Amino acid sequence: MTAEGLVAALLADTGDEDWPARVPNRLDSVLAALPRPARAGVHTAVAALETYAVLRTGRRLAALDPDARESLLGSLAARPRLVPLLDLLKVPVMLAAGTERMPTAPLAVTAPEDPPLDCTPAQEWPTRSTADVVVVGSGAGGAVAARTFARAGLSVVVLEEGAHHSTASFGRRAPLDRFTELYRDGGATVAVGNPPLLLPVGRAVGGTTVVNSGTCYRTPEPVLGRWSSVYGFHLAESFGPRLDEIERTLRVATQPLDVLGNNGLLALAGAERLGWRAGPLRRNAPGCKGSCQCVVGCPTGAKQSVQLSVLPDACAAGARIVTGARVRRILLDHDGPGAPRAAGVRARRPDGSELEILCPLVVTAAGALQTPPLLRRSGLGGHPRLGRNLSVHPATSVAGRFAEPVTAWKGVLQSAGVEELHDRGVLIEATASPPGMGSFVLPGLGRELRGELEEADHLATLGAMIADRPSGRVQGRDRTLVRYDLDPRDGDRLMTAVRAMGRLLLAAGAEEILTGLPFAPRARSLDELDELLTRTTARNLHLSAFHPTGTAAAGADPRRAPADPKGRLRGAHGVLVADGSVLPSCPQVNPQLSIMAAALAISETWVEREG
Amino acid sequence: MRGTVFTETMLGTVRLDTETTERRVRLDLRAEADEVLRPHRTTRARLTGRVRIAGFADDPGAEGELEVSPIARRRIRYQLAFTGDGRRLVLDGWKSVTARRPLASMTVLPFTLYEGDARVGEGVLRFPAATRLVPFLLSFRFPRREDRAQHFPPRWDGTPGRTEVWYTTLTDPTTGTGIWLHHELTVPADGSDPFAHGWVAAFPRDGEVRHARFGSAPWTRPADGFAGDKVTATPGQLAGGAGEFRWELTERPQGPPLFTFPRWSWRRPLLPAAQMLPAARATYDGEFSYGEHSLTLSGAPGASARIYGHGNAHRWTWLHADLGGGDVLEIVAAVSTRPGLRRLPPLVFLRLRRGGRTWPRRAERSAVGWLGVGRFRAGFGLPQWTVTGRTALRRIHVEVDQPAERTLTLEYRDPDGARAVCRNSESADARIVLERWWGRWRPEASWVLDGTAHAEAGDR
Repeated sequence: MTAEGLVAALLADTGDEDWPARVPNRLDSVLAALPRPARAGVHTAVAALETYAVLRTGRRLAALDPDARESLLGSLAARPRLVPLLDLLKVPVMLAAGTERMPTAPLAVTAPEDPPLDCTPAQEWPTRSTADVVVVGSGAGGAVAARTFARAGLSVVVLEEGAHHSTASFGRRAPLDRFTELYRDGGATVAVGNPPLLLPVGRAVGGTTVVNSGTCYRTPEPVLGRWSSVYGFHLAESFGPRLDEIERTLRVATQPLDVLGNNGLLALAGAERLGWRAGPLRRNAPGCKGSCQCVVGCPTGAKQSVQLSVLPDACAAGARIVTGARVRRILLDHDGPGAPRAAGVRARRPDGSELEILCPLVVTAAGALQTPPLLRRSGLGGHPRLGRNLSVHPATSVAGRFAEPVTAWKGVLQSAGVEELHDRGVLIEATASPPGMGSFVLPGLGRELRGELEEADHLATLGAMIADRPSGRVQGRDRTLVRYDLDPRDGDRLMTAVRAMGRLLLAAGAEEILTGLPFAPRARSLDELDELLTRTTARNLHLSAFHPTGTAAAGADPRRAPADPKGRLRGAHGVLVADGSVLPSCPQVNPQLSIMAAALAISETWVEREG
Repeated sequence: MRGTVFTETMLGTVRLDTETTERRVRLDLRAEADEVLRPHRTTRARLTGRVRIAGFADDPGAEGELEVSPIARRRIRYQLAFTGDGRRLVLDGWKSVTARRPLASMTVLPFTLYEGDARVGEGVLRFPAATRLVPFLLSFRFPRREDRAQHFPPRWDGTPGRTEVWYTTLTDPTTGTGIWLHHELTVPADGSDPFAHGWVAAFPRDGEVRHARFGSAPWTRPADGFAGDKVTATPGQLAGGAGEFRWELTERPQGPPLFTFPRWSWRRPLLPAAQMLPAARATYDGEFSYGEHSLTLSGAPGASARIYGHGNAHRWTWLHADLGGGDVLEIVAAVSTRPGLRRLPPLVFLRLRRGGRTWPRRAERSAVGWLGVGRFRAGFGLPQWTVTGRTALRRIHVEVDQPAERTLTLEYRDPDGARAVCRNSESADARIVLERWWGRWRPEASWVLDGTAHAEAGDR
């Protein structure tokens, strides 16, 4: 156990209850899934804390009594510069504590049988094989591209780095166990910048659609117009019928109110009192039972992630999925006239061995964070804008404390949308999460934090994401390094969003607003909130983002767009980009439908021209 | 234009999908490309060879394709179709070349076995560099790739005093009848008009030799071969009639060209004359009739040859012997008509093509040796003439018999009007003994041709 003392101190463990004692073990399993630098950071922080305790008291944290631990934490919290660091340290502990405090009982309902997929583990896939098309990534873009090409009669192989998880397997396992498996880097992908930004992305058959909230916004018309007229991405003009088709495939419908949950109902109530435009979100989860576990894989199979909706169609048309295969590079033939031509891919199996598939067409759908490094590894990273133009929809969350229990984790995870400020680039969505897994960081340390944890069922949580400028960049070849510097305008938008969420919660009847700001965590009125916000900036917010897009943007200008208007990578023949990275700019809404429509348009256009 | 030929052996294992244990695999391949293998480019080659999978397959007739591109594509790909266990299977695999592991990546061949589109097995082959690298490197050959049709168009450039010949000899395997078709362009040295003429002869095994002349006809300058007096000789086709003879033959070349004289002497006519064969061997199908005899030829062995020069030699002998199995022996021994050269002993041009390789390697070797030392020797005479010669480790002795009753004597006329006499037999006998020196002279091969050798001897 790595951090018994830290856990005991942070959770003010007095030994009265059993569950805090189990947290250190759980924390170890969380840390094991993190990338090495993050793990080293936590270990260093824990070691520093223990050293401080020894120097100050002569004893390690675990050996101190609760009062001494509290006093020690108090002395640390008194130093403003340390508070953000302690907040970072709290995140994995709260993840573990949330699971141990309220273990989720296995669902009573029997998970439905998933539609069949043709999945083969990479170890069982031949070292040498051929196909007509290889799709790198099985997420929103890759699944649609695979289905399109398979239906056109081509032999398609989808290479997925992650594993296949069935709905039944979700029901059998604790949310935290799924969390560490379903996310890349255990969910600890961070964009370096000021402020740093948590950027979790999924890694499984189905990609991020397995772990997203299921919110399905159509690409707004103004965005489509801009993509076509400003960026020259003319395929956007034909998105209408394609979005219809995607919505049919995903069975998108407005979320009924019966399972919406208190979190969403409170948001709607607040919006109604303010006269703001709001409503239940349109989601791809018919028959949602409100398990509030979207972000760790829907255990009831209601959410139509692509591995339940699109990939089965693709497999029925002949596509095959190889799991556990990380694509190392796209193989190129350099001896033809003109630009090099894609000849296949080389992928690495979990045991380190490699397999190769020869094919004349490679579709990169590895996501906006993985596609640029893949192209660089393949010798296709020559375009100066590859990896740039990264938009992420920075998001922050605010919680409101209500007198009555809210029990936000019973109901739909992302339930209601407030679009009043959407024209100003702010989209508020009522977002609850399984205990400890939300992006909202509870304030306080020790007894204060424990108190917040005990009272967590009285909290309602709202999240807001903003339409941001493309101020991020994806670097690296083998390991992705994301850099994101918040644009000043976007900082203002985030502060506007925090104020709007506070106002909404207060209107809904909240007694207190938890801002998530380390220096000014609580406000009891709008005036108090305003006063707090004037004293701080967006750099102090806990930011997270879930929608990376634009790193291999399509466009008409060859100097600015790494991909041409039809999604073909410039500087190579036979490489299509069909994921979030191909979007010319941020779609301003949850991007799943936009990515799927773009992938559909790009793959159908290729089939029409070349097929 | 040269091609590339090499052989390669690989050993490995395969696991069939229906089995749990691995089987041993051995591939013995011969790769043949139409271009010189250049490592920085992509070269495609035809694969033939033998595939052996222990207890499952042993197919000596495997065929496929090889794509060699170690630098441009960093890939050497093998696709090989063979029969195993009564099923038609395809082995598809490639070596992925990387500079980080040059030896392993150039020698390890992972492959997948398919039956139709379905995978039936997977395995790995390895090139055993320790034992096979030297034979592999020594197996490389870069044979010339020539279009035999390019040797058929007339060479004559308008100069007076030239003669050009297209002649074909063949043996009907059914009746043993030898056939001789001789097409000649003669350009008189006195500047008068060129004319086309020739003759056809049949050498039945039992019976009298028959022949007929055609022409003379004005030379019409055909583009692709010989044409005159309704007789044509073009690449792949021989047709015409003369006297009682009629023929309509299709020629199928069976090998690359064979230059009896040095190649340069055919390209640049510096010698008094030069002879070559557009295809060292050919087979003939079609109809050939004379008098009451009508032959239907099917796969009749023979060859077509070409001569271009100033005229006939002072004395000469010629032999074309089809030795079977694709091997062939071609000999021209001649004494020039030129003053001075006429005093030299006969120049012997002997070309033995055996197993795809030609001995001696240079045509000059048999004619002049090393400044005359070690040259091959010819013993002129009739009905028997001989040729003997040796190189460092190999020697040959050839005896040719042209019985008078199976020999046709014809008068030739040179462009300058001089006359020569040629005694030709397309049903001659020959005895050929080839020996190799290994401590002592040991027999390497011998052939006896009973009435199937094509030979002639000429003098003034």
